[in-house]
Amino acid sequence: MALRWCTSLPVLLLSYVVCSLAVEIQSFENTNILRTVELGGSQVQITTTFAIKALQPNAKTYTLALDVDEQEKTSWLEVRLKGQQEGLEMAPREDDTGRYVLLDVTLPKALAVNGTANLIVDSIQTGATFPWPEKAAQAADQALKYRSDLFVISPYKTVTQKTKLRSPSPGVISHTTPKNVESFTLGDPVTKSGATITYGPYQNIPASANSKFLDEHQQRVIIHYSYEHPVLEVTKLKRAAEISHWGSNLNIQDEVVLRNAGPTLKGQFSRIDYQHSSYYKKSVSHVIPAVTLHLPAGIRDAYYYDQIGNVSTSRLRTTPSVPKGSQANQYSFLELRPRYPIMGGWNYSFTLGWDAPLADSTSYDSKSGKYIVEVPVMTTIPGAVVKEAEVKIVLPEGATDISYVEPFPSTSWMFTYKTYLDTSGRPTLLFEYQDLTIKHAQSIYVSYKVPFSAHLQKPFAVSAAIFISFMFTLVGRRIDLTLHKQKVQ
Amino acid sequence: MPTAIPLPSNVSPATVANTASLLRIVALLLISGAAIASRLFAVVNFESVIHEFDPWFNYRATRVLASKGFYEFWNWFDPTAWYPLGRVVGGTVYPGLMATSGVIYNILHSLNLPVDIRNICVLLAPGFSALTAWATYMFTKEMKDESAGLLAAAFIGIVPGYISRSVAGSYDNEAIAIFLLMFTFFCWIKALKLGSALFGTVAAVFYFYMVAAWGGYAFITNMIPLHALVLILMGRFTSRLYVAYSSWYAIGTLASMQVPFVGFQPVRTSEHMAALGVFGLLQIIAFAELVRSHVSSQQFKRLLYISVAAIGVLGGLAFVGMTYKGWIAPWTGRFYSLWDTGYAKKYIPIIASVSEHQPTAWPSFFMDLQFLIFLFPAGVVFCFRQLRDEHIFVIVYAVVASYFAGVMVRLMLTLTPVVCVASAVALSSLLDTYIDVREPEVAEEPATDNSTQGAAPTNGTNGSQATTPASATTTTKKAKKPAQPTSALGDLVSLVTSKTGKETVGVFGIDTRLTVILNALGMLVFFVFHCTWVTSSAYSSPSVVLASHGADGSMHIIDDFREAYYWLRQNTPQDAVVMSWWDYGYQIAGMADRPTLVDNNTWNNTHIATVGKAMASSEEVAYPILRKHDVDYVLVIFGGVLGYSGDDINKFLWMVRIAQGVWPDEIQEPNYFTPSGEYRVDERASQTMKDSLMYKMSYYRFAELYGGGPATDRVRNQQVPKVGPTLDYLEEAYTSENWIVRIYQVKKEDPLGRDHKTANSFTHGKKRKRSKPAPRRKAIAG
Repeated sequence: MALRWCTSLPVLLLSYVVCSLAVEIQSFENTNILRTVELGGSQVQITTTFAIKALQPNAKTYTLALDVDEQEKTSWLEVRLKGQQEGLEMAPREDDTGRYVLLDVTLPKALAVNGTANLIVDSIQTGATFPWPEKAAQAADQALKYRSDLFVISPYKTVTQKTKLRSPSPGVISHTTPKNVESFTLGDPVTKSGATITYGPYQNIPASANSKFLDEHQQRVIIHYSYEHPVLEVTKLKRAAEISHWGSNLNIQDEVVLRNAGPTLKGQFSRIDYQHSSYYKKSVSHVIPAVTLHLPAGIRDAYYYDQIGNVSTSRLRTTPSVPKGSQANQYSFLELRPRYPIMGGWNYSFTLGWDAPLADSTSYDSKSGKYIVEVPVMTTIPGAVVKEAEVKIVLPEGATDISYVEPFPSTSWMFTYKTYLDTSGRPTLLFEYQDLTIKHAQSIYVSYKVPFSAHLQKPFAVSAAIFISFMFTLVGRRIDLTLHKQKVQ
Repeated sequence: MPTAIPLPSNVSPATVANTASLLRIVALLLISGAAIASRLFAVVNFESVIHEFDPWFNYRATRVLASKGFYEFWNWFDPTAWYPLGRVVGGTVYPGLMATSGVIYNILHSLNLPVDIRNICVLLAPGFSALTAWATYMFTKEMKDESAGLLAAAFIGIVPGYISRSVAGSYDNEAIAIFLLMFTFFCWIKALKLGSALFGTVAAVFYFYMVAAWGGYAFITNMIPLHALVLILMGRFTSRLYVAYSSWYAIGTLASMQVPFVGFQPVRTSEHMAALGVFGLLQIIAFAELVRSHVSSQQFKRLLYISVAAIGVLGGLAFVGMTYKGWIAPWTGRFYSLWDTGYAKKYIPIIASVSEHQPTAWPSFFMDLQFLIFLFPAGVVFCFRQLRDEHIFVIVYAVVASYFAGVMVRLMLTLTPVVCVASAVALSSLLDTYIDVREPEVAEEPATDNSTQGAAPTNGTNGSQATTPASATTTTKKAKKPAQPTSALGDLVSLVTSKTGKETVGVFGIDTRLTVILNALGMLVFFVFHCTWVTSSAYSSPSVVLASHGADGSMHIIDDFREAYYWLRQNTPQDAVVMSWWDYGYQIAGMADRPTLVDNNTWNNTHIATVGKAMASSEEVAYPILRKHDVDYVLVIFGGVLGYSGDDINKFLWMVRIAQGVWPDEIQEPNYFTPSGEYRVDERASQTMKDSLMYKMSYYRFAELYGGGPATDRVRNQQVPKVGPTLDYLEEAYTSENWIVRIYQVKKEDPLGRDHKTANSFTHGKKRKRSKPAPRRKAIAG
């Protein structure tokens, strides 16, 4: 199980302030580094391939370096060997210069001298792009800027390295031409072909994860490209999953604050221009008229409302439940249309919820008598990054022996929560996350036991209450409180 | 005794009584169910949403109460209403409705039933309508019997006149007030019948609840004294009346003064003086009775004359004097308009501008009450038959409420209960007569003669008819039958007047019975159909959400209001001040959560007139007004695209009139008409009209929607000018999908100190007219 990268890690990192600043012995050499950046809206995917060669025997720990700035932006990072799915274990440690962070990757088996391996580092950056110009008129196109470092830094020497930035459309408006790189390359420092900008290849780069190199050679490159999809951002996502054994139901409710993080609207919104442009099918790229969501199969009673009531403009196409274990990827589609088109800089908050058969996401282990329920952390809104997320899982009343497995670390609490006709309250788990990307759309697994008596708690409480009120009436009607007895006539 | 159908003879009276009581309970439950269900059209067709305008304020206040507690609500000062004045909500609201919802909310939540406060508010009115049905049952039971009670409960449960104010989502004071009205009246009748101080106190408690819930409490405040006065004048003064009235008045008045909004009004305003006067009169009479029992009648007569004259003169002088001194407030305008329907139009346009303050049209009586309106007079006549104290109450109530219902549409609501009660009495009498299985003894001539002759003198016109059956009584039943129903009125009067010969008057055979009963049933069935139809088609629209039907009958929801309000809520600064006509004030506060200049609590006429003036003036005049009031956004409702007739252009003349009331020199209504006196929006509209802010904001870029074709305003069916108005001081900020809501942002002062007109023409590259000075700066300074 790979330890995945999260920006909440600095807390962890601090505890790691490492005293083991050993002498930098060059145990590895990078024969080739290829970085590919898929430019996007709110999420930017980066794949970096390190071709490494061991210089010392029994080299097992390879160290990656990450600029602090970059580390802040990176909300997902995974290291694996080429051709393998499993991620490798990582241990972060902070460099005392405070300018970069080091990651110790443990290789599955030690390399002999001159032994080679290909490491692939997958990462997703959020908040790495910003709209430029910052304001755009209603009909104008949208362009973004992406800022990155020219060199991939590494504590080891690098023979050759290259950075490719791929824009989703051919419309690259401008890019930075790096200066003072003659010592590394003889040809053009940067080439552009279509939608791809290539920096390098640069040869014979010394160990770069040190202040000297950073001061002398590291520089910023900025790509300005047009982007034809809306830049979405979920400022806050509050998910509540409520498990009901009586109703055999898993209710999931999301409270979402959606924001168009593209260029803010310049001037004012004009309905007539908007209607004209949609009439002539000249849809504007940075406006969000609707969002399509993939909800689980087999859901029912979906609801979509905001603070002032039901939003009647959405459409839901449900798919029946998929039998367990089948690989078919089936979804219910929700076409969600906000009350108004979300222009640049506008907000829209809504609540979306649905009921799903509990059997679809729960299984019962008869050996240990435990239920295991799977709750997805989030429903992906295509292209959107979730800045803050809160997942609340409400277990049935009287659940015991609760344990959980989460796909990536978070801050979590446990408390009891009283709702529908509860007497003792339901155990509730709460998880908090930041900067969730498409890679984070995984599930939390919670296992718990529910004794038979807990199932009977609610009907018993209700019938007891009704019984007491009947008894009260029964007695009350038979007590005579009259002061003066009327004479019987 | 002969019966029309064979009856089982081996049933014990206890079984009959128990079965009847069980049936009554079941019937009441079914009636409650029907009353609640028929009010849910709005939820089924649309959604669980608060309706219209005032309910949005009540809902907002309830949310404050539910989330912050009662004391916070009591001291709530709302700085966002009536900007920049603010509003002391706790002291200017009838808190009964919110408190009721708050209590229900807290009870449910203490039982761990997490019901949303919105759903409680939406479903409060249907829930209370079930209670109203029960209260009406209790009330009518006192008038006649249980079966009349059940009929009355069924009527009030589904009658459109009451449903119109109590559908789900219509979260207004009336929702609970009608229940309180009926229950207070029931307690009063009960107190009067028994002479019970307990029931008098209960009546006072419910009267207090009513005072806390609805401004219409004044109806009870005057109704009960009027009843007492009529009883006194009829010589029906009893100690029971004395006990009932005194306990009700003393406790009720003291309790009602605890409501901050009412305060000292019960002892200081003219509306409440009748109750005080009758209270005093009762004391005097009780004292006189006491004296009479101690002195001789001769002395007493003299004493009586002198004291009555002296007290009358003194009392009258005191009343006039106190009114003159200002200790007693004179009648309010709203009260005057109850007597003179033209009064409000002349002096208080703001009252007249509300559609529900208009006099009632005749068709709406039928629409709201259907066949009950025909049975109603019959029921009142039936009340004369026994004329007990409580019947006098119904008669007085009927007369007073009929008058008020004719004066103001909204007072139809107070008429409806008495119509239901009286009709139920009439219909139940009819059914009693014809369902009664006993057959009269085979007629002996003298007995039938008595009955018909008893009828003849009271009904002159029917004299000839009445003699016909008399001569034909010796023939068989069949001959008698057609004569009986020939004149319903004659029959009715004979029933009223003759009490003798019970056994000899009656109905023969089953066919007669069936004819009448089926007829009555038919009427009832049609009534149900009518009520359902009226409720679903006329009274169940939330008016926040509109619906249109496609050619195939599919419903299309038009949600422009919420669209625009939600846009305001999400995408403007929290403190952005929104100016709109007062109708939308509560909605903006409730849904958009933004400060408003004026709202539906129309307490400050000048402030409303200011908004009216801004809307009715040209941009140059309006701009300083807008800036002085910190207005950021101006919101107008425009129905021209969709044909939504309740828009601001149609309300515009009221804005002009109200503004004219305060600034008669600057705003004149005739300027907004064409020279031929028409109200138009097309080319022929007057220049003042075309220059007005309202016109400009409504039709800004409207003609472009038609792409050069003739731009037709679908509400007024007029073609607006091809070159639409231009705006210099405001800019369009948002327009909803169907153009119903249009929001404009007020520009800040030009940074270069130019007025916006000059600045605009500069940016458009036009040359500045040399002769034009910049008058704006002066106006801002002033």
